[in-house]
Amino acid sequence: MQVTSVLPVAKMVGSNRVVQGGGIVHVFGDPDLPPEEEKKLRQTILLQAFEALKKQADAS
Amino acid sequence: MRLTLAYHTVSDVRFGDTTQLDGTILMVDQEALRQYLLADRRLERVDFHVVRPGDSCRFGVVFDILEPRAKAPGAGPDFPGILGPIETAGQGTTHVLKGSAVTVLDEGAPVASGKIVDMSGAAGVACPYASLSHLVVVPHLVQDVERHTALHALRLASVRASVYLAGAAVGQEAGTTEVFDTQGPAVARRDGVPRIAYIGQIHSRQRVAEVDEQILYGANTEGMLPVLLHPNEWLDGALVTSYSSRGVETYFYQNHPIISELHRWHRDGKITLVGTVATMAASDNDDRARNCMLAAQQAKWLLAADGAILTKYGGGAPHADMALTARLCEQLGIRTTVQVEDMSRDRRAESALLFNYAEVDAMVHVGGNDTRWSVPAVERAIAGNPEAAATLGASQQLEASRLCGVTNQQGASRLRSFVY
Amino acid sequence: MRVVHYLNQFFGGRGGEEAADMAPHIQDGAVGPGRLLEQVFGNDAHIVHTIIAGDNYAAENLEMLTELVVKQVKAAHAELFVAGPCFEAGRYGLVAGALCKAVQSALGIPVVTGMAGENPGVDLYRQELYIVDSGASVSAMRDVLSKMGRIATKLAHHQDIGRPTDEGYIPRGMLHDEFVEQTAAERMVQMLVAKTAGGPFESEFTPPAFAAVPAPAPVADLSKARVVIVTDGGLVPKGNPDNISPYAATNWGAYDISALDDLQGENYEVSHRGYDTRYVEQDPDRLVPVDALRDLEKAGIVGKVHDRFISTSGLANPLANSRRLGHEIAEKLKQEGVDAVILTST
Repeated sequence: MQVTSVLPVAKMVGSNRVVQGGGIVHVFGDPDLPPEEEKKLRQTILLQAFEALKKQADAS
Repeated sequence: MRLTLAYHTVSDVRFGDTTQLDGTILMVDQEALRQYLLADRRLERVDFHVVRPGDSCRFGVVFDILEPRAKAPGAGPDFPGILGPIETAGQGTTHVLKGSAVTVLDEGAPVASGKIVDMSGAAGVACPYASLSHLVVVPHLVQDVERHTALHALRLASVRASVYLAGAAVGQEAGTTEVFDTQGPAVARRDGVPRIAYIGQIHSRQRVAEVDEQILYGANTEGMLPVLLHPNEWLDGALVTSYSSRGVETYFYQNHPIISELHRWHRDGKITLVGTVATMAASDNDDRARNCMLAAQQAKWLLAADGAILTKYGGGAPHADMALTARLCEQLGIRTTVQVEDMSRDRRAESALLFNYAEVDAMVHVGGNDTRWSVPAVERAIAGNPEAAATLGASQQLEASRLCGVTNQQGASRLRSFVY
Repeated sequence: MRVVHYLNQFFGGRGGEEAADMAPHIQDGAVGPGRLLEQVFGNDAHIVHTIIAGDNYAAENLEMLTELVVKQVKAAHAELFVAGPCFEAGRYGLVAGALCKAVQSALGIPVVTGMAGENPGVDLYRQELYIVDSGASVSAMRDVLSKMGRIATKLAHHQDIGRPTDEGYIPRGMLHDEFVEQTAAERMVQMLVAKTAGGPFESEFTPPAFAAVPAPAPVADLSKARVVIVTDGGLVPKGNPDNISPYAATNWGAYDISALDDLQGENYEVSHRGYDTRYVEQDPDRLVPVDALRDLEKAGIVGKVHDRFISTSGLANPLANSRRLGHEIAEKLKQEGVDAVILTST
């Protein structure tokens, strides 16, 4: 499945499972957060990605 | 609502002792105009230049280009919300100095990349403004003025100069007149005559509008939602361009190519022009979703449109707003046509579009990245300072997107992009 | 004009599918459609050699065949190389496209071919070659050859090739501006009124169709799954050992993370020009989240983190290329027993 920030483009080209990332230039991060928090954010996004993997793909 | 444009042909602009229209010669008392503009204390001095069609001349950076127009007495205020009280634009008689233009230059904008006009050569042939007689106005700001204040001063100077010049035509017999008289959406549906609307973006929130930026009846459009406007309002001073005016000039609001063309078809009885929606390109996904939805709903439930033409304002991302609005219209049963320009880096068709909806399948493509001219040095270059003028006047490669009116977003463009 | 012509076994008169393994045969003069092509050219061109090979042989030995053809074209002092036309034959189209591209690039002489729109060779080669739209029916052969001949002649004389509809080739996908009579406004109103009336209209642009990819079934048990990270953000080891181009990348790399719990900025660089790469260079986990993924592996939420992460650059990458890269990566990962992919895109 795909983790990215610009969802409309991903959907337009037919990506079946898409999850919002943390920002275009740091898909799995946020430089404004302290490192520990950032790592937790990474985990959160990964867990969301895993949820998408476990489900049927979106029909839209 | 009935608007009569009284056209007074101008074949030449000259400096003279008084401001008057002598046959087709517009005489301009530049000292009087100067004093009038300098009433704005933010301006230290103002220079004026007359530029004629065919002159070996280039000027820039263009802040805005306006057609000199003035309301007849009793017809309402000029540029309501900016120069005059807020009253509905688009009714009564407006005098027009046809064949002339007021062009205000921005000394604060970098000349290497800014919008310009070229009056001759291959670029001149392509530039719709090259066939007009220009009064080029170069305001110089006092020191240490903030950028947004400077821009506001330019805006004020532009509308003041235009109205001042057109004052020469008030009271004179017009050469020809053109009437714009559509009754709005309450008009009964006629068999076989489609009801058409225009949905046009008037600003892109890619750039936050300045607090003192005046766009729609003097408002800066911050926080605004899409709004219905009578077609005449676009033509008659309700709107001026926002400061990010890539591809747009107020001249083509006053002479709006799409609204004018829709009027022609309306007068011929082939369509009913039911109205327009003024909207803006959003700064975030929620703003986009909301504005696009509301604009489409207005076209459907308030205008009862069968078809809509859409244009965008600004750069690439506003295509997404335009496309989403078009898609929502299509889903509501309104057929749409959109105008796009080339947003690719590599001129590949597959990179060129920032949206892809099956329903948005009627596009006019004005290209833009493929056209440039090798232009020679010109005899006269007008800019905010001598260095800028020297750069502008030199021989160079000129991109079509820099030449006012060529890749125009308001429908004036004669460029078409073909897929080879 | 001296011409070399490539044909497959069928059009070369050697037989059908049973002759598809035929090794290349070089013959003096024109064969089959080549004779028709010479007629179409009149006295202006003559086919010096015809190279015939079986579709299967060609597909399986493309590199060797390409070398042979380029050598032959050069030795014959040919001024034009023609392949096909291939109509709907897919293997034939892919080979014809590859040969034309190679001859064009190695020898700089005009090349031309013909295929039906759906031929897979079109998608892959249309941006670089003039492929006449032959349609599916072989009965159009003479007409197709005429068009190929006209384009070839123009190319040989360095004349501009006109619009696809005028010249008969499949649009190559390049935008070309022209000034026209009507303003955009006039064109829009005309188009809209036609569309509203339900009548035919011609859009000035049609975006590429993205074929729907059927979604694979959900991962049954993530705690037993092997998960890999693939990125188009261009993260590569310092030195970019596989020379992945920052834009229009034509290759991808697989980089070992089997001993790593975390990616360190000093060991990596970013080959991508489309975004501000500072944050990823500081901490590559911001693009390829190895650290967080390892934690989830240790916690048993994910079965296994794959030994490598896969990387390429997605910037300004032609669709045909991206499709190929995607196929190759998917094939490789399937072979390596991967169950799920996290694709991180900037």
